[in-house]
Amino acid sequence: MSQLLQVIINGIALGGMYTVLVLGFSIIWGVLGVINFAHGEFVMLGAYTAWLANDQLGLDPFLAAPLVFLFMMMVGFAVQKILVNRVIDRPHLVSLLVMFGVSIILSNGMKLIFSADFRRNDTALDGSWQLMDGVTIPVTKFFVLLAALGIVSALSVFLQRTRMGKSIRAAAQNREAARIVGIDVKKVYAITFALCIGITGAAGALISPILAVQPFQGPPLTLKAFAITAMAGLGSIKGALGGAMILGLIEAGLAIYISGIGTNLAVIASFVILVVALVLRPQGLFGGLRPVDAMAS
Amino acid sequence: MRRLQRILALVFALAMIGAACGTDAESVDNAIEPSEEDSGSSGDGAEDEATSEDPDDSDDSAMEETVGFAGTIKFGAALSETGKFSVEGKDSRQGYDTWAEWVNNEYGGIKVGDDRYEVEIIYYDDESDADTAANLIQRLIDEDEVNFLLGPYSSGLTTGASAISEANGVIMVEGNGTSDSMFERGFENLFLVGTVASDYTKSGIEAMAASGATTAVIAYEDTSFPTAVAQGAIAHLEANGIELLATEKYPKDIQDVSAIMTKFRDLEPDIFIGGGHYNDAVLFANSAKELGFKPDAMLITVGPSNPKLVSELGDDVAGILGPTQWEASMAYEGDYFGTAGDYAAYYESLWGEAPVYQAASATASGMALMLAIESAGSLDTDAVRTALRGLDAEIFYGPISFDERGVNIGKPMGTVQIQDGEIKVIAPDKAAVADLVFPIGE
Repeated sequence: MSQLLQVIINGIALGGMYTVLVLGFSIIWGVLGVINFAHGEFVMLGAYTAWLANDQLGLDPFLAAPLVFLFMMMVGFAVQKILVNRVIDRPHLVSLLVMFGVSIILSNGMKLIFSADFRRNDTALDGSWQLMDGVTIPVTKFFVLLAALGIVSALSVFLQRTRMGKSIRAAAQNREAARIVGIDVKKVYAITFALCIGITGAAGALISPILAVQPFQGPPLTLKAFAITAMAGLGSIKGALGGAMILGLIEAGLAIYISGIGTNLAVIASFVILVVALVLRPQGLFGGLRPVDAMAS
Repeated sequence: MRRLQRILALVFALAMIGAACGTDAESVDNAIEPSEEDSGSSGDGAEDEATSEDPDDSDDSAMEETVGFAGTIKFGAALSETGKFSVEGKDSRQGYDTWAEWVNNEYGGIKVGDDRYEVEIIYYDDESDADTAANLIQRLIDEDEVNFLLGPYSSGLTTGASAISEANGVIMVEGNGTSDSMFERGFENLFLVGTVASDYTKSGIEAMAASGATTAVIAYEDTSFPTAVAQGAIAHLEANGIELLATEKYPKDIQDVSAIMTKFRDLEPDIFIGGGHYNDAVLFANSAKELGFKPDAMLITVGPSNPKLVSELGDDVAGILGPTQWEASMAYEGDYFGTAGDYAAYYESLWGEAPVYQAASATASGMALMLAIESAGSLDTDAVRTALRGLDAEIFYGPISFDERGVNIGKPMGTVQIQDGEIKVIAPDKAAVADLVFPIGE
């Protein structure tokens, strides 16, 4: 019984981590129709920024996360202005390839600057809380989960209640119609991209005490974000949260209850769910802003 | 739907390319730790661009001293100057050059009978590619007519390169390709001065068994090298009467090991053995802490001998054990370079940096060949091969004596433990500078 409880705690904790990792990717895909192949590299950039903040200023990654968010928003804004905006009206494949190029530039550029040595960010919020005999709560992941829920709530309010949020949703649903009613779509895209890269960078800061920080940590994170987004629904915030939690729980369960190869099965699981969801429900399990096979415009 | 299919196909293709590019991270993992990859990397075998350089290019004055030599013995090596093993390639080359520098300028040349011979090493860049390395070995044999070969870096490259040297009947001595499978081919001309992968955990497990450990669990990345290490560990556990409670495999690039560690925690083993890459070491240390999993000892196969791990993880890795081929602090000593520490000082005077074990292994490969040539008193391949088989020496790197496979069974793998923030060699006894602390925290 205590093991089952521990599995659920592990799964939710993992789900929290996946949630912060997937949000930015999901919204960029949902709103702009851009598959951000450099997503993992932006996570890595955020993680390095947080690591630097700790190394140079002694700032805990949880305190650094808001600053990393602002810094990465500026990075995102610049990338959007210089690159994404120029290819956004062209087929999906073009932006996909552009972002793939960005991912290679970022990872190799960071390798040149920081070398491929891995780093780990320290946090005061580490260790475990003993809930009962044989059941512990991982402290760092608990606070990552809290942060994830905070970001999810703030984003939901922003998208549902604010004028800019409504513009973003309108632009996601129908770009031309949004233009006709006077929405400055380019501005909406710029803000969306900057916001999402900011969130992605903050996610990097939050997970920097959990995963080793190194220039080539991005690709597996991008693939995970891709799987969760396509499965749960493009640009859907509740989808990102729900998909991440489902996957976290399935992975934790498989890894513990199947002996020897459970962890391998857990990795396969996300793609099995992805394939099934794409075939049976292309709009995602939770219903996204657009179906996964929507046209670029 | 066709558009969707195209996108998914492209995403898959890019993921594959991305994964291939991502292997660069391993290259530097490998730079400081034992983790050879068996897979080759990109590279089209453009050997014409390979660089051949003068031997001993570190010191022009060496050429003037060649007057005193009866002749030159040509050694050849394919090493990675570019590609994913460029860091290890550089370390290996510095190791070989340290040996050549020492032989030519300090020792006075290799003794063959009454004559002294200068060492010349011809290098080519294998671009971290197995096919290129094999082609270059052929070139070294055919065009440069080298007398002997020194090994490339990694098991993957050595596997192909040694097949060529074997087919041509040229001896290759190496220190940085340790997969057991290479030595199960019945080759007569391949010799390894280092310890094979399956023995990485041997001295550590023996030390823990002697301290009273009775149960263990193992988690390992299911790629070639970690698997060989883990299978060796399973055999050593059994040989030492330690019961294996559970074994877990996990994929490369894993991001969470809490399920594995939860399962292990509930089994309450004395020893946890785990390994793959550096990131795994971070995950294991973090996860054990957040789950309250406190075995009496943790042996992590990749990471603990790297000072970076200690500085990054601090107290979280206190007491953790790990294997190492060689450390400058080891208590080995020989007639030539002196102690391991003396060797490290000489190396540092040449290159301005401390030697990593890849460099020490390279120097030791040259030393083994030199000792065999001197013992044979001849440059004849058969005579030197026989001398290598009969070699029984101790140098700064440890004892050297080859078995019938060509593996050095004289030198046991070292085991380090992180004690008070320092990496201390605790096994084997001959090399140890500190006692094993078991259980952790005692």
